[in-house]
This record gives sequence, C-alpha cells and structure tokens, in this order.
Amino acid sequence: MSGLRVMVVDDHPMWREGVARDLTEAGHQVVASCGEGRQAVRVVAAARPDVVVLDLQLPDISGVEVIQGLRAAHPDVRVLMLSASGEQQGVLDAVKAGATGYLLKSAGLAEFLEAVRRTAAGEPVFTPGLAGLVLGEYRRLATVTSHAAADAEDAAPRLTDRETEVLRLVAKGMSYKQIAERLGLSHRTVQNHVQNTLGKLQLHNRVELTRYAIERGLDD
Amino acid sequence: MAHVPTAGGFEVPLWRAVAVFRVASLAYVCVVLIRDADRYAHPLAAGALVLVMAAWTGVTAIGYADPARRGWPLLLADLAVVVAILLATPWVMGRPALDAGLPTLPVAWLSGPVLAWAVSGGRRRGVVAALVLGATDLATRGMVTPGAFNGAILMLLAGVVVGHVARLSVTAGERLHRAVELEAATRERERLARDIHDSVLQVLALVQRRGAHLDGEAGELARLAGEQEVALRSLISAAGPVPAGAADAPVDLRTLLGRHASATVSLSAPAGPVPLPPPVARELAAAVGAALDNAARHGGGRAWVLVEDEGAVVTVSIRDEGPGFPPDRLAEAVAQGRLGVAQAIRGRLADLGGTARINSTPGAGTEVELTVPRREP
Repeated sequence: MSGLRVMVVDDHPMWREGVARDLTEAGHQVVASCGEGRQAVRVVAAARPDVVVLDLQLPDISGVEVIQGLRAAHPDVRVLMLSASGEQQGVLDAVKAGATGYLLKSAGLAEFLEAVRRTAAGEPVFTPGLAGLVLGEYRRLATVTSHAAADAEDAAPRLTDRETEVLRLVAKGMSYKQIAERLGLSHRTVQNHVQNTLGKLQLHNRVELTRYAIERGLDD
Repeated sequence: MAHVPTAGGFEVPLWRAVAVFRVASLAYVCVVLIRDADRYAHPLAAGALVLVMAAWTGVTAIGYADPARRGWPLLLADLAVVVAILLATPWVMGRPALDAGLPTLPVAWLSGPVLAWAVSGGRRRGVVAALVLGATDLATRGMVTPGAFNGAILMLLAGVVVGHVARLSVTAGERLHRAVELEAATRERERLARDIHDSVLQVLALVQRRGAHLDGEAGELARLAGEQEVALRSLISAAGPVPAGAADAPVDLRTLLGRHASATVSLSAPAGPVPLPPPVARELAAAVGAALDNAARHGGGRAWVLVEDEGAVVTVSIRDEGPGFPPDRLAEAVAQGRLGVAQAIRGRLADLGGTARINSTPGAGTEVELTVPRREP
C-alpha cells in the first residue's frame, strides 16, 4: 500500500503518539501532529496531508470550526473524525461541515487503519451510530421545512427510498458488502448511495450558511 | 416563619423602604405640627412629642438595618412606643382640636410598626399590628370619624399587602438560592465529565486499541478496558437530575436505551430527543432489552439497535448476527426457547398498540423491528 500523508490533531499527547506510531508502522507518513485546532488550521496548508485524523473535542475551538478552517486552508483535505465519547450533535455538525469519516476512539487498530485508507480514497466511513444521526437529521429537516412552508429553493434535502434503505442497514451494523448482497447491488453502488446522503446534507448546510450570511449582511 | 434568614437578601430593600417611609411620614408630621400648632392645647408638648418620634425613627432605622436585631424585642418596643405616642396625642392636641376634625399628630407615621411587622413576618403580623394601632387610634379619639376609620382600614390593607410582598420576596430569594445551588452542582458535574473525558476515557480507549489484537491476558485486559470505557462514557453523558414534578412528562427513549449500549451493543439514534410518554417508553425499552437478551443468549456476538423517530410512529430495530432460525420451523424455535421471548415481545408491543416484526434466517442472524404509534397525550 502506498503511504499516505496524515496529520494527527488530538489534545491528548499519549493518544497522539500512539496513533502516529500505528500510522508509521503501517507505512504512512505523519506529516504533522498538533494538540490544538487553531494550530492545525495554521499548519495544514504547509503540511499538505491527504487525511486529517481529528479529535472532535479540542481545547480551543469546536470541531466544526476546525473542519471549516482546514477545508478553507487546504480544500483537498479529507477529515476522519475520532471521538472518545459519542458526542452526537457534535458528530452530526462535523459531518455537515464536511468531515466524511467518523470512528469511535475505541475502534480496533485494523478498523482505524482501514478507515484512514478509505477516507483518503474519498469513501465515506460511517459508524452505525453516525448513520442513525444522519437518518434522524433528514427527518428533522423534513419536519422543520414542512412547518415553515419554505419555498422550493430552501426545500430540505430528501433521501430516496433506496438511500433510506441503505442508510438504515448501515445503522443496523451491516457492512457495505452485506448490504450489497442483501439488496442485490454492487458494492460501489451501495457506497455511492451512502456518499450521496452525506453530500446532500453538506450541500444543504452550505446553502443554509450562505443564506444566513446574506440575511445577516442585509440586516446590518 | 419568623424573620427568615436572608437567602437572596431580597428583604433588605424592603427594610430600607420601611425606614424611608418613616422618615418621609415624619416630615409630613412636621408639616402638620407647624400648620396646626396654634390650635393645639399644648403646642410645646406637641413639639416634644415630634422630637420623640424623630428619635424613634432614628432608632428603628438603625435597629432594623441589622438582621440580628430584627427580633421580637425591637418589634414589640416599636409597637409599644408608637401606641404610647398615640395615647399621649389627645392630651397634647386637646379635645377641641380633635372635635374640629384635625388629623391626629402622628398621621401616617403610626403605620411604621405595621410595615415593620409585615416585613418581618408576613400578612398575619401586619394585620395584628394594624389592628392594635387602629383600635388605639380610634379609642383615643373617643369617636369614630369617617377619616379615622378610613385611616385604620388603609393601615390594615398596607399590613396585608406589604406582608404578602415580603413573603413573596423571601420565597423568591429561597428559590433563587436553590437554583444557584443546583446550577453549581450541574457545573461541577460537567467539569468532572470533561476531566474524565480528557483523561480516563482516552487512556482506556488507547489501552483497548493497542491491546485488542493481542492474545491471552493482554487481550483480555484490553477488552476489559474497552468495557469500562463504554460504562464510564454512558455514566458521564447520562442526563442530569430530573426536574421535580416531571413524573408524567415525556421521557427521552434514547436515555432509557442508553443503558443497553456496551462494547458489544451499538446504539444508533437521532441527535435530538425521542420523547415518549413514560409508560410507553418503559415498555418499549423493556421489549428492546428482551430482544437484546435473546440476541446475547443465542446470537452470542454483537448486536445493533437503531432508533427512528418518524413523528407519528417510533421504530426501534434490533439486529444480531447469531445463527438465526428458519421462519417455518417454529417448533424448533420453541424447543430453543425462542418463541417464548418472541411472544413476550409481541405481547408488550400489542399492549402499546404497536407491532413487532421478527425476521430470522438461518446463518444471517435475527432482526426485530418494534413500531409504536405516538398518541397525543
């Protein structure tokens, strides 16, 4: 396997060193490691990592701010989030901000290395928990907009029946391979469905942010 | 119910207001004295009486300012001094002045003790003081003029209203005090949770990760560390104290199901609460628990729980990758003790007006899907 350029952001030194060692032993290159979000945003452009392994709970700024800063400074970067506790709203916000991978810190080493590789390849890395959060978020958006009677441009993103089906199976702990077998689809198609669920959510989030910024700008 | 210890210090402004009232009403007494002195029987004595009133105003202002001195001695002395001044008034003013309908010398100043009593102990004390002073005032006049009667009634009302306000402010102060204490406790809990998160959880997760692939004792230790990490995590992320009086308020199904989450059971749910009436949530959680027990007993390995809130219905799915069982061979399932569980789960869901779908294929594990309608409470 060709080595990847990885940046590790975690405020816990012991964890940071452990992860860096694991990555190095697996043949990857740890191009930077920092304990603070602002520092990570500052160095990301120079370090040019393929993947940032990011602890969601940093002492200085929120996970969402770090992800936005990283993507602004280095647009090609992919973010794999790690969290020790299942901070649910935080994970969801981070996904909406553009992270494409999520793993609990208690995941095994093989699972972690696989997640790094897949995140770098642009594949979404979902835990069942994240799939449950994303499903819930689509339902929440649907209720919010139907109440607000928004116009077509603001319409909440919707999942197709197939996407819902796939996401539910991910949330119930099935691997892409198992899902592909059950639904008679190719592995690639299952992966695309999952990717689309994230993509729509991130797009909607960007539209919302822009609209919010414009509204604020006009009000001032 | 005596002078309540200061909780939020809410009655301090009330005592200050009483002192201000006494000074202001004393000023009016001086105006009355200057205006009517030539019609009094003993103008000099009236002047002396006003000096006594001024002195007493000073004594009470200083006395009531200190919480330690707001006890019965000062309250009774206050009432006694004012009653004495009131009793001296007819002689000072003389019969003709009283009969001419002039206001009695202390006018509104005599309400001072009524306010002090009301602030110190609420409505009841205010009423007692007002009745004593009102009766004395009417008795010294020797007749009931409409003006004097009105004054007595106003004094009574003042006692009631100020007493009520005083009680309210003390209660509000106590509530604020309790709220501040609760907030401090919550903050402390959050701080602890953060500390545990930053240190212990990270180390446990690291131990588990670095040892998970090892065999023997080291692998076992890593597994134990992982279990403790999950247990600790659910402990610190658990909801804080339940607000009082929320016995039949909807509960969050996620909190109830959170107890089942472990190293082998993954729980997926929306980010926001999934509110259900407490009996429904409890029954549903019990059914999920039964399905998970069954999965652990027969499936052995991992299990996944998915909570979905679709507004009108709430769905909980439980999946395991155990051996499963063929759907057409229920007899075998009965022999394995599976049907009993299935029936128990179906029974619970039927009681809630919901449904339970149990799907099992040999070699592909078992899936249970529990759906309950959400009825408007």
